[in-house]
Amino acid sequence: MSMENAAYKKFKDISREEHISPGTALCTGCGGLLALRLAYKVLGENVVIVNAAGCFTLLSVYPYNPFNSSWMYTAMACAPAGAQGIRDALDILIKKGKLKSEENLKVVVLTGDGTANDIGLQSTSAAIYRGLDFYYFCYDNEAYANTGFQMSSATPYGSRTSTSLPGEINPQGTTQRKKDLFEIWRAHKPPYLATISPSDPVDLSNKFEKASKFEGPKLFIALSPCPPGWSFGASNSVNIARLAVQTGIWPLKEAVYGEVKHTVIPKFKPVEEYLRTQNRYDHLFNPVKQVDIIDNIRKDVERYWERYLGT
Amino acid sequence: MKQSTNEMIKRIRFHGRGGQGMKTASRIVGTASFLEGFFVQDSPLYGAERRGAPMVAFTRLSKEPILERGIIVSPDINMIADETLLNDQTANVFQGTWEGTVTIVNTHYPASHVRNVYGIVGEIVTLDITEIALNVIGESVLSSTAAAVVCKLTGMITESSLEEAVTRELSSINLKKELVEKNVQAALTCFDRIPETHPHYFESIKEDKKDEIVRLEYADPCLGSPSVYAKGTTKLKKTGNWRLFKPVIDHEKCSRCYTCFVYCPHSCISIDEEGYPQIDYDNCKGCLICFCECPKKVISKDREVRTW
Repeated sequence: MSMENAAYKKFKDISREEHISPGTALCTGCGGLLALRLAYKVLGENVVIVNAAGCFTLLSVYPYNPFNSSWMYTAMACAPAGAQGIRDALDILIKKGKLKSEENLKVVVLTGDGTANDIGLQSTSAAIYRGLDFYYFCYDNEAYANTGFQMSSATPYGSRTSTSLPGEINPQGTTQRKKDLFEIWRAHKPPYLATISPSDPVDLSNKFEKASKFEGPKLFIALSPCPPGWSFGASNSVNIARLAVQTGIWPLKEAVYGEVKHTVIPKFKPVEEYLRTQNRYDHLFNPVKQVDIIDNIRKDVERYWERYLGT
Repeated sequence: MKQSTNEMIKRIRFHGRGGQGMKTASRIVGTASFLEGFFVQDSPLYGAERRGAPMVAFTRLSKEPILERGIIVSPDINMIADETLLNDQTANVFQGTWEGTVTIVNTHYPASHVRNVYGIVGEIVTLDITEIALNVIGESVLSSTAAAVVCKLTGMITESSLEEAVTRELSSINLKKELVEKNVQAALTCFDRIPETHPHYFESIKEDKKDEIVRLEYADPCLGSPSVYAKGTTKLKKTGNWRLFKPVIDHEKCSRCYTCFVYCPHSCISIDEEGYPQIDYDNCKGCLICFCECPKKVISKDREVRTW
């Protein structure tokens, strides 16, 4: 998006109002929580979150609640179906005059990558197909982090999870490529779809602002550096997200009715700079450097950007 | 409530916070005991919460097969690896402690002080294992140091078994070799710092206890799906005690750029009327993203000193 007509240009444009109170049970330095907090600042207070089981279940552990707005909890497979029910109920209340239209709520599905890519993919596809007016916020920490960091289909090639340990047969750890959820969702041609990163709050805010202009499905995939799962010090969360963007590993882009546009063109730092920050990639460097695996990761990034930049 | 009359069994309970390494500590003690020829059992117990939240882990060792299962209600050795848990009602660190319990507290205070403040019964040992971990390993991970203290207090585990157990367990979780070596060094330092065990530590439990089955009352299904009507109440939890280092902003040099405010994941930095960032120390978990991201580098980090 061009900077001239963007609603957010600098940090001082970001709202000082907080919508998620301190004191949640989420991990110290959670990158996903930072992305959600920044998104909430644009969404405002009239929100109902429909939260599928995952790390963010812990936002609200009975009897505590961090929100000033509403929150409902569902199983992993059915958050978009829950969102449909809430949307319908709100629409009926407004139609009957029992809810003022200015009190209307934004329905926001909140799930992790396991739900988005694996367990809840079907119900999301159906909700987009029906044109449900909702937001989908996926915090992508690239594994089932809530239960001990088991591999999901969003886990990147060459990384270690507790169920894809590097060994003699698979020295690279995870052998599969990360599922391209952006492209799967884009095939449905929703009104708005974007990737975001907590390292780029201005870009993130502008995307939520832009999405608010559309009716129908508005979907977001947030890179969510995970200190315990990716195995790095909590203070490094934002820096790692930034490196993911700058190396080209995490493209920041949007798609309006399926038309893709990249909002940040990276500096193309060497991928190694990103990989070395996290112990989940340590086996690629120690005890011996696995040059071929690192090369495969680099080539994947190059191929991706060649497609878009036409070089 | 005493758990059993089996005098051969030793029950060890570890209290810590998620991420401090108590699960691994219980495992190291288990492996070290196994190497000494004991039957062993170890298991961690987490709630719904995670890194930074209170957790417990258990180790049992015995000269005979262990048939007992589940949580340890009445420990022989009670390791409290985080002194902030002493005040935490939900952690309930003194549950089931009795005159025969040896309590270890990770603190720089002397044992007498801890006893006076908390009225602890039984033997009490204090050692600042965080300080040792920071000095020797360079990180505040307490698995090997806590395990070493416990191993010494059992009076039945040798230095060589401890060393072997630390190496085995930490290698199995893919720790780098040099880090494993530092952990061994830290463990042996702690092992040396704890005095030889006093026979009194292991007086057998005299009181008998009938095995009881806990009966569950019928509960309305609505209780399983509770509703919360109050807004923003998590701030009452005061997660500030998760913190090991405290970020401190030098307001004299602060340029009011908002970077720390924007990047705080936990909504703990607000902007005051004059545009300066202020930290909510009651809840700041000490992730130190603000410290890393501050473009002017005017945020420092101070080792947290607990005031009791």
